[in-house]
Amino acid sequence: MKFLPFIWRQLSRNKLRTALTAGAIGLAVSLVCILLTMPAGMDALLTQVASNTRIVVHNEAGLVYPLPYSYLQKIRSQPGVVSAASWTWFGGVFREEKGVEFPNFAIEPEPIGSVWADWKIEPQQLEEFRRYRDGAIVGRGTLNKNGWKIGDLVTLKGTVYPVDLAFRIVGEIPNERSPIFLFQREYLDQALRAGGRGGLDILGTVWLRVDDPARVAPLMSQIDEMFRNSEAVTASETEKSYFANFFSMLQGFVTVILIVTGLVALCIVFIAANTASMAVRERIGEIAVLKALGFSRRLIFTTLLSEAVLLSTLGGVLGVLGALALTQLLRAGSGWNPALGPLGSFIVTQAILVQGLFLALFVGMLSGVVPALGAARRSVAETLREVL
Amino acid sequence: MIEVRDVSRVYRRGADEVHALEHVSLRIERGRFAALMGPSGSGKSTLLNILAGLDRPTSGVVEVAGQRLNDLSEDQLAAFRARHVGFVFQFFNLIPVLNARANVELPLLLTRLGKADRRTRAETALRIVGLADRAMHKPNEMSGGEQQRVAIARAFVTDPEIVVADEPTGDLDAKNAVEILALLRDLAREFGKTVVMVTHDPRGEAFVDEIHHLDKGVLLDSIAGGGAAA
Amino acid sequence: MLPIRYALGNLAARRTRTLLTVAVIALVVVATTLFGSLVSSLRRTLVGTGNERNLIVLRKGATNDGSSVIPLEAFQSLRFFDGVARDAAGNPLASPELVVQPFFRTAGGGRENVLVRGVEAVALQVHDEVAIVEGRMFHPSSGEAIVGSGVAGRYVGAKVGDTLDFGRGHWRVVGRFDSNGSSFESEVWVDVRELAADAKRSIPYSGLRIRAAEGADMDALARRINDDPRYALDASPEPAYYEKQAESANALYFIVVGLAVLAGIGAIFGATNTLYAAVQSRRAEIGTLRALGFSRTAIVVSFLIESLVIAFGGFAIGATLAALLGRLVSWWLGGIAFGAATFTTNVIQLRVGASDLANALALALVIGLVGGIAPAARAARMRPIEALRRA
Repeated sequence: MKFLPFIWRQLSRNKLRTALTAGAIGLAVSLVCILLTMPAGMDALLTQVASNTRIVVHNEAGLVYPLPYSYLQKIRSQPGVVSAASWTWFGGVFREEKGVEFPNFAIEPEPIGSVWADWKIEPQQLEEFRRYRDGAIVGRGTLNKNGWKIGDLVTLKGTVYPVDLAFRIVGEIPNERSPIFLFQREYLDQALRAGGRGGLDILGTVWLRVDDPARVAPLMSQIDEMFRNSEAVTASETEKSYFANFFSMLQGFVTVILIVTGLVALCIVFIAANTASMAVRERIGEIAVLKALGFSRRLIFTTLLSEAVLLSTLGGVLGVLGALALTQLLRAGSGWNPALGPLGSFIVTQAILVQGLFLALFVGMLSGVVPALGAARRSVAETLREVL
Repeated sequence: MIEVRDVSRVYRRGADEVHALEHVSLRIERGRFAALMGPSGSGKSTLLNILAGLDRPTSGVVEVAGQRLNDLSEDQLAAFRARHVGFVFQFFNLIPVLNARANVELPLLLTRLGKADRRTRAETALRIVGLADRAMHKPNEMSGGEQQRVAIARAFVTDPEIVVADEPTGDLDAKNAVEILALLRDLAREFGKTVVMVTHDPRGEAFVDEIHHLDKGVLLDSIAGGGAAA
Repeated sequence: MLPIRYALGNLAARRTRTLLTVAVIALVVVATTLFGSLVSSLRRTLVGTGNERNLIVLRKGATNDGSSVIPLEAFQSLRFFDGVARDAAGNPLASPELVVQPFFRTAGGGRENVLVRGVEAVALQVHDEVAIVEGRMFHPSSGEAIVGSGVAGRYVGAKVGDTLDFGRGHWRVVGRFDSNGSSFESEVWVDVRELAADAKRSIPYSGLRIRAAEGADMDALARRINDDPRYALDASPEPAYYEKQAESANALYFIVVGLAVLAGIGAIFGATNTLYAAVQSRRAEIGTLRALGFSRTAIVVSFLIESLVIAFGGFAIGATLAALLGRLVSWWLGGIAFGAATFTTNVIQLRVGASDLANALALALVIGLVGGIAPAARAARMRPIEALRRA
């Protein structure tokens, strides 16, 4: 591209305008990227849980309705069930004034490695978790947010159960987005008994792994059938369906985010178009001279368009860098937010980066076309007469 | 009533020093139509700007309409220009988005006159230059000659003591040029204004009362013009 | 001072540039107003719930309605405390309530947690902003339910006359209620004993709401409840309780403000660009005006007016679009759902309110002023003879 220095020189004619335009586009691209992290967070969750052999069993009436603990054994004994573990919501708070900042659950330690092999928790850590009753395995998201490391001691005050529990972090779930805090069910059960109340005789949900994907559907009906006439009726569903349902509520919010993102992206078009048209307008005379000298219309068009594209791509690069920096700040400053859930992870994925850059490039091209075309088409003689 | 004493103007262009005016002394009496003439770079425009209060000399004294311009601040000079000086430019310099009457009214906004008075004055000025029927037209709807006449109306409307004109006929054809020069002379006579014109145009010699020649920043001579005789 | 016609005339003369800049500002206004009113609608719903004269009593340590348990005896003794208001017949205005979060199916096939509140008739007196607008209140022990306006139409069977399926049973919907847009409108109310039976709660209540009598010392009443050694309870005024619940919305405010700041700065750059170009192309004109004697201030003011007119135009268009778009989105989605701390759904109606518009106007004016000041200053700083010199 031998005209690149020529094009670059045009942009540096009016450094202030170039800077302002690139800055404005940069800001808009940053915004688009940051906004896109929200639905991306949700998508990531849904695709990450790609396990097609994991099923969750919960009370049909709702997640807050418990199931009798005896159900776990009954489910485990079903043919096709490789392993199963129960999750029971504890609702402990770390900082009392802040309420529940991350979801925490009581779980049986032994089946974890089997049911959630894809979570890639270190076997060594699982071993520690099994061995130490007060152990806790924590998702990396929460570890980072609170500045915790393996070995740290953490106490959670119960809000649902009237006990406070002290834990030692022995392992992590190696996933940036994971906010989960898991501890031993036995620990809670004993603490309740020590307080003079009965033990923990209920569970929240049962998660199980099936040996063969083909067995999933029949197994789900089997389990539900088994408990259909019991006091607690169950509903089984695949993990994907479970999360999809969980976040179906956020659909409305995501729609608004996407609309806002679209508006900001549209903004970029107008900013770039404005600059392109101003630049061209001011150089009408000069362009006429170039044409007189022998520059073809196509060449004029291409160089003007390239100028617009180069400028907005510059803005795009700035924007993407800005988004990375700003989301860093956002992550440091906020935690798991019940209003946002996975939308609040603010992680700029590679896909988003690419989308941001392409947006800038595409917009540059789009907005530059009309002014460039206009300039290329103008009659030389007419222009020279007008201007000189 | 315009007097410059030993005025010099030096300015910097990058690393060079340009001596635009060198120790010029000049006196123009009230009511005279004077021309400053000379080749390119002679300093005539610089001198005109200093007389009009648009520029300050590097050294020397400038007195216009009894006022020492050297001592005035930027804002005071602006106020001085508003009250005492009218301007006519080579390229007319009318405001394109305003019509003729509004253009002529413009300097009046700097006075205390009320809306009705301003309008009357502007219309009168337009009538005097013969463009009463073009009052509502925008500059791009008028010919060069008409635009310059509107500019002249604007220059006189505030009743200033002096009117300066920088190459007023530079952008006009022969017929219009002569009309404009005649207009300037007549207005100077009729209203007793001091008009100072910078020009290349040799036709101007026939209309002015006095001609001052400059070259390379120095005043060469001052002679009488053809207008003195008329 | 320069005539306004001059500023306006110049804006009209360079239509493309003016319109594009107005468009940029308008889009920024729409984006920030839409998002901002989403969050303020959410906050209004959350904070708007809560009566100043009501105390909410939960088990000590419970952070919300849904995770608390109150023994029957506690209710029976608390309601007779001094300071508790009474109705005309002398009955205490103390409402025992049970909060459960069962699944509901949405019209679109999704599944959401909805807050079902088991109450007795006295609840309507304690929560006096709740008003039945269609049908009637349910009869106790009759398998009936009333639904909030936010619920009606969002879930299958939630209309008056229909039957709702949740928990372990079927409930006939006999009425619909409003409550000034507060979060109660996202709830379903049923008879507390029936709900307890359905959810198999042996201890039937999760919380109490108590109306303090006229002139009674609420603090004293709350302290007495908290200090009672028989039960571990925590009483706080409803507004304070709901304010805490609204804290999750506060994090969203940061995003809104961040959005406004980033977008605002982008728009400022856009406006500055346009005005610099205007100043540049009108050099001779500016020089003429200065030569004629107009002061630097007059020039600055004129350019700022241009900038502010553009900004205001952007605001007018943007605010109108935002209001329309908000209505459209809200109608199309049937309200926008948010998660509450109780893990239930708060359905809010997106409404662009007066404060949202005021914020938008302020943003637009800031963009206009800050965007215009630098070019205006440059115009004013031009020395007349330099401006007049034709390059």
